[in-house]
Amino acid sequence: MAEAKTRSVSFPRYAEYNCAFQYIVEQALGCKYVMPPPLTKRTMELGAKYSPDFVCTPFKTMLGNMIEALEAGADTLLMTHGLCRLGYYGELLEQILRDLGYQFEFINLSEYDMSKKKEYLRIVRRFNPKVNPARFLARFLEGVRMVEYLDEITALYYQNCGFDAMDGAYRRSYQDFLTAMYTAQSRSDIEAGYRTVRRAFSSTRLDKPQRPLRVGIVGEFYTVMDGFSNLELEQKLADMGVEVHRWMNVTNQFLRYGSGQKNLRVKIRDLCQYDMGPTSTANIWYARECAERGFDGIVHVKSAACTPEIDVMPVLQNIGADYKIPVLYLTYDAQTSDVGLMTRLEAFYDMIHMRKKVL
Amino acid sequence: MEHAYLGVDVGSISTKGVIIDKENNILASQYIWTQGDPIGAVKELVGLLEKQFDKANYEIVATGTTGSARKLVGAILGATMVKNEITAHAVGTTAFYPDVRTILEIGGQDSKIILVENGVAVDYAMNTLCAAGTGAFLSSQAKRLGIEVEDIGDYALRSTHPTQIAARCTVFAESDLVHKIQMGHPREDIIAGVCNAVAANYLNNVGKGKKILSPVVFQGGVSKNKGVVAAFERTLGCPVIVDPNGHLMGALGAAILARKGSGRKTFDFNLVNMDFRTREAGCGGCPNQCEIICVYRGDELIDSWGNRCERGANLR
Ligand code: SF4
Ligand code: SF4
Repeated sequence: MAEAKTRSVSFPRYAEYNCAFQYIVEQALGCKYVMPPPLTKRTMELGAKYSPDFVCTPFKTMLGNMIEALEAGADTLLMTHGLCRLGYYGELLEQILRDLGYQFEFINLSEYDMSKKKEYLRIVRRFNPKVNPARFLARFLEGVRMVEYLDEITALYYQNCGFDAMDGAYRRSYQDFLTAMYTAQSRSDIEAGYRTVRRAFSSTRLDKPQRPLRVGIVGEFYTVMDGFSNLELEQKLADMGVEVHRWMNVTNQFLRYGSGQKNLRVKIRDLCQYDMGPTSTANIWYARECAERGFDGIVHVKSAACTPEIDVMPVLQNIGADYKIPVLYLTYDAQTSDVGLMTRLEAFYDMIHMRKKVL
Repeated sequence: MEHAYLGVDVGSISTKGVIIDKENNILASQYIWTQGDPIGAVKELVGLLEKQFDKANYEIVATGTTGSARKLVGAILGATMVKNEITAHAVGTTAFYPDVRTILEIGGQDSKIILVENGVAVDYAMNTLCAAGTGAFLSSQAKRLGIEVEDIGDYALRSTHPTQIAARCTVFAESDLVHKIQMGHPREDIIAGVCNAVAANYLNNVGKGKKILSPVVFQGGVSKNKGVVAAFERTLGCPVIVDPNGHLMGALGAAILARKGSGRKTFDFNLVNMDFRTREAGCGGCPNQCEIICVYRGDELIDSWGNRCERGANLR
């Protein structure tokens, strides 16, 4: 039985979080983790080929990468309880993969009631019945720690890498940090990797003007964070010499503010009355935050067919008009090309750059 | 020898070029079809510009390129400035209309809007989604009605009761149009209705949520159509300026940006006689299978791009 041998668990690539999935699966659950191959054109082709037409791009990406994970030997797939449609998508994903003839077990977190503590143990036991709950929890929290470090370092990275005065040293330190996280086996590995990159960052000379251009990124949860999906939007902007700020990440959305969403909602009561989607509240709040802090521009990111984020756009338009801050709207689909994105980004950069000189 | 500056705008449909002096006066200008061959078009363009250009008194010291083939053409011309078409249009237009607040542009395949404040672009949007807001829609409907594209404007201006045509989306607009033709609406009213639909669709899509302030400048192929100009004036309630050099604004902007930039390189008209070609090299380094575009002058590789990572850089 599958129960007897160690499971090979996988979860599709998602930004750089797979190092933490791997850590939790291997160190906390005592299973084997199958790292799916990086997202490529092939992933998208696979995903598009087997997806129904109406789904959004993140679904296709996930499906494509799940197929690649199964090809790489995974026998258990994990699906999170999603933020929006992704939550209902689990069943659909499973059905498509079964129809394709793959043998695997599908653990869909949205089938569990996550508000009950007992449920967590049930999930854990499903992965590995021999798990010791106390030990699991301790090591799980180390994985969570990794996520927090990852988000903290990534935020720092995109705020500063565009001003590297040492020929890519900043970027190399970040890459080394990622490698350290992907190979970490213990708490001390995580801590060491974190300390090393902090030291490396602060010893890298930055050539930053007194008032650098600052751009805030908001948008749909998946595309806004995943570099492959947004065609390295943040790196491209940073490389033009921009401080790139993004609030949206796993730490802020789930770990810290998961329950704090209520407070955010109160803060934007004057802008909109209802919660419109999974991330709308946070996005509207953060867009205004950027405007109030005197940022030079806002970029709104979403995938095609993402309905919740379409509803956010009129509110952003109002913020743009009230605070006189340019907002660039980007919609990604499989056809979005690097060239097209560069044209828009360069124009956006020129605009905020020339504007800053005049104001 | 006076300094001059060359600007070239290569789009999918047309290729435009200007040479200006340091006061932005146009010394030479040319407009030709790209016909799917940007390299050939640029060579031809440069040859035509050379004939108009006073080589005895002027020397081109900087070159700017813009448009969808800006990178390729920039490599070929040895450009000192390669700029996206949005910035180039904004810079070109504000040089001639310093007070402009809104630039509307409708081309054959796409359209854009640029909002300007104090001579600087502050907001823009581009649309490639709905064909009903572009020139392609206008010409296909003219064909359906059996009239020449150039005559659309005159027809439309003769109409006193423009037909209402649903403008939200191309598919609806087309079926509504067919319906109205069958109901026997006069041709000029229908044509005027089509012009209104183009303007309305543009304002609903590209112009959505944008505050359109006067002075308004209208550019792109469709701006030559008096019917659409009138439709914009009616809907916006303000005059709409169409510059006879409107089609050159991108090239002008590129030339001006080249003049303002720091790069200097004397332009050599002889390049028309050189052999340029591009080669697409597929990188098999990973399943991304990047297509790397390599540009050669004779046998010499002068530029390449398209690889997503460094591994593809060795391949050229
Ligand atoms: S938020 Fe948008 S992109 Fe994400 S699952 Fe929902 S609809 Fe799809
Ligand atoms: S250039 Fe890099 S990303 Fe592109 S196919 Fe080659 S190895 Fe893959």
